[in-house]
Amino acid sequence: MEVKIDKTYPLEVDPQRAWTLLQDLRQLAGCMPGAEITEQLSANSYKGAVKLKVGPALAQFGGSVEVVECDHQARRVVLRAKGADKGGSSAAMDLNAVIEPVADAPAKASLLGQASVVVNGKFAQFGGRMMVQVSEMMLGQFVQNFQAAAQQLPQAAQAQDVSPAVDVPQAPAAAAPARQAAREINGLALLWALIRGWFASRFARPAR
Amino acid sequence: MNAPADTAEARELALAGMGASRLRKEDARFIQGKGNYVDDIKLPAMLHMDIVRSPLAHARIRKINKEAALAIPGVHAVLTADDLKPLKLHWMPTLAGDVAAVLADEKVHFQMQEVAIVVADDRYIAADAVEAVEVEYDELPPVIDPYAALAADAPVLREDLAGKTSGAHGAREHPNHIFTWQAGDKEAADAAFARAEVTVSQHMYYPRVHPCPLETCGCVASFDPVRGELTTWMTSQAPHVVRTVVSMLSGIPESKVRIISPDIGGGFGNKVGVYPGYVCAIVASIVLGRPVKWVEDRIENISTTAFARDYHMDGELAASADGRILGLRVKVVADHGAFDACADPSKFPAGLFHICSGSYDIAAAHAEVKGVYTNKAPGGVAYRCSFRVTEAVYLIERMVDVLAQKLGMDKAEIRARNFIRKEQFPYRSPFGFDYDSGDYHTALNKVLDAVDYKALRAEQAAKRADPDSPTLMGIGLVTFTEVVGAGPSKMCDILGVGMFDSCEIRVHPTGSAIARMGTISQGQGHQTTYAQIIATELGIPSEVIQVEEGDTSTAPYGLGTYGSRSTPVAGAAIALAARKIHAKARRIAAHLLEVSEQDLDWEVDRFKVKGDDARYKTMNDIAWAAYHQPPDGMEPGLEAVHYYDPPNFTYPFGIYLCVVDIDRATGETKVRRFYALDDCGTRINPMIIEGQIHGGLTEGFAVAMGQQMPFDAQGNLLGNTLMDYFLPTAVEAPKWETDYTVTPSPHHPIGAKGVAESPHVGSIPTFTSAVVDAFAHLGVTHLDMPHNSFRVWKALREHGVAA
Repeated sequence: MEVKIDKTYPLEVDPQRAWTLLQDLRQLAGCMPGAEITEQLSANSYKGAVKLKVGPALAQFGGSVEVVECDHQARRVVLRAKGADKGGSSAAMDLNAVIEPVADAPAKASLLGQASVVVNGKFAQFGGRMMVQVSEMMLGQFVQNFQAAAQQLPQAAQAQDVSPAVDVPQAPAAAAPARQAAREINGLALLWALIRGWFASRFARPAR
Repeated sequence: MNAPADTAEARELALAGMGASRLRKEDARFIQGKGNYVDDIKLPAMLHMDIVRSPLAHARIRKINKEAALAIPGVHAVLTADDLKPLKLHWMPTLAGDVAAVLADEKVHFQMQEVAIVVADDRYIAADAVEAVEVEYDELPPVIDPYAALAADAPVLREDLAGKTSGAHGAREHPNHIFTWQAGDKEAADAAFARAEVTVSQHMYYPRVHPCPLETCGCVASFDPVRGELTTWMTSQAPHVVRTVVSMLSGIPESKVRIISPDIGGGFGNKVGVYPGYVCAIVASIVLGRPVKWVEDRIENISTTAFARDYHMDGELAASADGRILGLRVKVVADHGAFDACADPSKFPAGLFHICSGSYDIAAAHAEVKGVYTNKAPGGVAYRCSFRVTEAVYLIERMVDVLAQKLGMDKAEIRARNFIRKEQFPYRSPFGFDYDSGDYHTALNKVLDAVDYKALRAEQAAKRADPDSPTLMGIGLVTFTEVVGAGPSKMCDILGVGMFDSCEIRVHPTGSAIARMGTISQGQGHQTTYAQIIATELGIPSEVIQVEEGDTSTAPYGLGTYGSRSTPVAGAAIALAARKIHAKARRIAAHLLEVSEQDLDWEVDRFKVKGDDARYKTMNDIAWAAYHQPPDGMEPGLEAVHYYDPPNFTYPFGIYLCVVDIDRATGETKVRRFYALDDCGTRINPMIIEGQIHGGLTEGFAVAMGQQMPFDAQGNLLGNTLMDYFLPTAVEAPKWETDYTVTPSPHHPIGAKGVAESPHVGSIPTFTSAVVDAFAHLGVTHLDMPHNSFRVWKALREHGVAA
């Protein structure tokens, strides 16, 4: 099944630092709960892994990430990730992420994310009902981690702009972002967040 | 020596024969939990099998790694298609003349397809080992939409059929095309349309659904390597056919193959086919020399073993301005899934769909059904119906409603105008069926009077006129005719075996009897009703008549139970076997009474000498004599076998009316009233008929109001658990009102037509008719099933009723 996400997240960090982090796939993966880049295959492709634990069920997706496009001018990356789990699920994601400045607020930025996630197999069959909520939850966590990591980058990184396109991996390796993300997605926490979100939306809705 | 004579009426009552509402003999064991189902079979040294299934709908298998699974203690074997290849068992023939993969051979064609099997000491180890089998796939683009499957650039699903330009049912015009089947007279139908004053057309989708019996499919295969004998307990609606297939596939002589269908917890068509799980369990038992049990879980059952329906239908009617139907044209695209494994008589790839001219006298008709491969599970069984009759009845009943709407005529009136009249029977339909008997007008009037149809219409008009009415009211009416009792062997066969059925009756010396049958009950109550037929025919109380079915080593060859064929075919075999015994009994009685056979009259349970009530011999006396002092030259014993090849199908019919109230804000649809009149000819056991009708109506309610198998664009089945798949209980099911008329079949020995499927076939379009009727004043002519609250609510919104 396919889940489409089109969201804008406000960031408490300047566009330059956000863009620097967005280009660094290793660091970027670190912001995604349970995800990591395990190996670089070529200039713009990587091997990665995602661990997802919900109750007793553990899914370990192994797969590849390809940087399809990295546009410094527009501060946009296009990623294509594909992975499969030995237990019989597979997933593919096309992600289009753009950092935009916020008018009159140089210390702020917006992250525009458009993603199409196609999930196959057991996850689609049994997780279908929760897929949208889980995806949004995960992205929410990702954005929090992303913002925290970007804030830790050194302020003046202007030089990055002149580096050749799609040459990202080593660049700000020293920056060591705060890894708030657990090594795997915590199903209970996820569930709690879902329930909380659901109740919040229920009671926030004005009575008609 | 004769017992004191009671009155004939009292003796007849004591027999509990045909017409008696005899309590079901089966229920004593079922309600005590003493049934014996496949999963109850436990043999010494028995192993357990589980299946590795594909997570993807369409993919190439790169590699299967068994090592980790084989390393688990307690695992005896992991088998893949490559292991079955040397035995030539990695593919198997289907009932529809195609082949189906037993285990996926290089490619997977649908989600949950069988890829490998694991055999282990117990079910838990087997399940763990299934998780440990690593399969690497290269994903291929899936084809889910049957129309898209026929596009020029559509991915080719069946690479094994590359270059085959014709299949079992004629030319193939595309690699994903299975067959195009036609019936009727196209020219005549086109001509009728050309000169018609009014024509209507409607597209409708009959969704893919699953019979979902309470007991899933399974088997215990036990091969005895010393004797070379294979015994398999199996959830099969057709054990004899399975025996023949197993013998053909395995090379084991049919005499050494024994298939036993023990108690079966519902079949509804799901248990007709031969599935990979059965074949693998048998192979595993032969390979390992130990009994192997396989029982599928619910998800496997809904996902893989035999779905039903999935017909995309376009119907057209041509009529005169006053509502006389002149022509019918139908085009169907049938989604058969990855392999053509429909369970139909060999010559009919679309089953008996050409019954779609229904209860109406239509001069010209033509139907075309195109079968297509998609990346979905194979199947296409008759879910509580006779081979696509459900689809046919849905089509014609919807079309008649659409025509009535166009003409502004009442649903009942247009039907009465077009009915085949009583005096037209036997009636030849435009598709060539010979309807045996019917009296549709009488039945329709009975229903309309019973529900006060005029008052219902008046109430509906008032509600439509009231903008504040909280509900929309809909009235559904269906007047259907079925074709069941397949079938005459000149038309119907399965794998070349004619669709007869059989019965062997033995009357024991002390007057009790046993009957063995080629059919197999899955809840129909055969042990009860078959005995009643014999009781009436032979004057033996049904209480002392045993009925045995399902063991191929003891029962005579029969084609099994599906398509409402047990009463029309096997029921006739019973009556005729009994009549052979009756004829012999008469000769014995004449001998004992020292009169000629012509001087004897039969009365309930005895032969009497004409004009002398004191001189008679009961069937009890005769049975004793048959083993003790038969006439000179007569073989001792009192038994007979009959194989019945029906001269024609039977054509039960019914008139169903349904009233629904739809909440205009939420779409919740309440069935206020459902009135079902059935005519199944002679009624053997009214209580069982009532039960059958309740069951069929409830299953019809399930299909119409909730069941569906939704697939996403990748071929994931998003609804293969009972959390999603609607199985109504007493909580959801409406109250059913039943009624009947009796129009016996003239060609059937006891005039019976079969009933169990009528309520399913007939009720489904009735619900749709009622729901659509609630929207009719808004110009809606059709709404596809299922009519669940969400979908009805969407329709309400679309037409500006709900906010």
